Amino acid sequence: MLLLAVGDSVHASTLQPARALRICLGLLYLLCAALAAPRELAAQETPYFVTYSHHLEEPGNLEIELNSVYGVQHAGNDYIAPWVEFEYGAKAWWTTEFYLDWQGTFNDSALFTGFRWENRFRPLMREHWINPVLYVEYENTTAADKTMIEVVGFDNQADYAVPNSQAQMDHQHELETKLILSSDYKGWNISENFIAEKNLGHDPWEFGYAVGASRPLRLAATSDYCNFCRENFLLGGEVYGGLGTSWNFTRTGTSQYAAPVVAWQLPSGVTFRVSPGFGLNSNSHPFILRWSVSYEIDRFAHRVRSLFR
Amino acid sequence: MIRPSFAALLLLALAFVTVGSASERERETDDRGVLLAIARAPLKTRSWHNPYAGQPDAILAGKKLFAQHCAECHGPHARGIGRAVNLHLSAVQNATPGELEWFLRNGNLWRGMPSWSGLPEQRRWQLVAYLKSFR
Repeated sequence: MLLLAVGDSVHASTLQPARALRICLGLLYLLCAALAAPRELAAQETPYFVTYSHHLEEPGNLEIELNSVYGVQHAGNDYIAPWVEFEYGAKAWWTTEFYLDWQGTFNDSALFTGFRWENRFRPLMREHWINPVLYVEYENTTAADKTMIEVVGFDNQADYAVPNSQAQMDHQHELETKLILSSDYKGWNISENFIAEKNLGHDPWEFGYAVGASRPLRLAATSDYCNFCRENFLLGGEVYGGLGTSWNFTRTGTSQYAAPVVAWQLPSGVTFRVSPGFGLNSNSHPFILRWSVSYEIDRFAHRVRSLFR
Repeated sequence: MIRPSFAALLLLALAFVTVGSASERERETDDRGVLLAIARAPLKTRSWHNPYAGQPDAILAGKKLFAQHCAECHGPHARGIGRAVNLHLSAVQNATPGELEWFLRNGNLWRGMPSWSGLPEQRRWQLVAYLKSFR
């Protein structure tokens, strides 16, 4: 699948149903393999797609996450933008993450749109009422990127109507920073993110925000190993959008979204998430649907080192 | 555009492994570190009561949580792996339930023990109930 998609980046081709089916079957195979794995591992995660909390990846663990977003365009030519995340707990206070992004637009083409490298640091070593996390990310993408991992500035759904052949010529090297504030209270997680993004070539700083709240359906664990227990499900919601630029800090003319989120954490270490999102104004996509499958590999570095012994 | 991207990917993969090896060495706290970390718990935590103390179901739930979250470092029987602390040690067993719950919530980030504040408080108490059942 990876090679297929890399090939797309070199020779962008029309998104065909047969290819989409092959990708789906590949994902299904991966999923079945993960479900069948006799393991006991569960990450402590929040179900958000856009909002970050202060919970970092456990040190030494690697989480591989396949995500996708389906976006509805006002003027047609909807799209699917998948991305892969490799999230690694470098330290208990530092998580590093690498992304590869693709997209396929109906009646247009499918192509690789770039990569991102993010790092999250917890400056305070203890839990507080509000826990800050500092976030720094470098993005090397093209204007054809449609993953919408964050919304900043005056991002507008009409931007996504630009044909891929034209959009992919516009390379973007961006620095993105976030201040993540997050709290846990009586089983609830409440997180607020303030986003500042800068195109390193030009343009002013662009700002955005994301706010989320979530809670497991059951707070205490049961003594049984079960896939469908209420304790394995998290429900929540997030609201996110742009806040203009350093030249014009405003919500007017920006796109805004609200999205319920659901996560299902299996004891095998697999987590499914889904989130239908709704645009709150005419600048936003009327509807977006995000989904993901993630799998956590514990003691990843130890396993890699053991291969060379 | 593509070739530099994948060169960067390979470099980052190597960086992950390198950083991982370093963090693996440092992640596991030694007994002394755990003792010092538990000792940093506020005095008020000593009077905290575990609502699940001695409840068989809670101990079983704690055992399940331990297998899911803790066994990868401390081992399936909590005897420790490498420098990860043996949780049967008297130093751990003599800590009050409140101190252990506080320690689970805060972790010892600088020494590699993650914070488990993402687990609901009820599940941390179930873990404490399981740890206390070793005695």
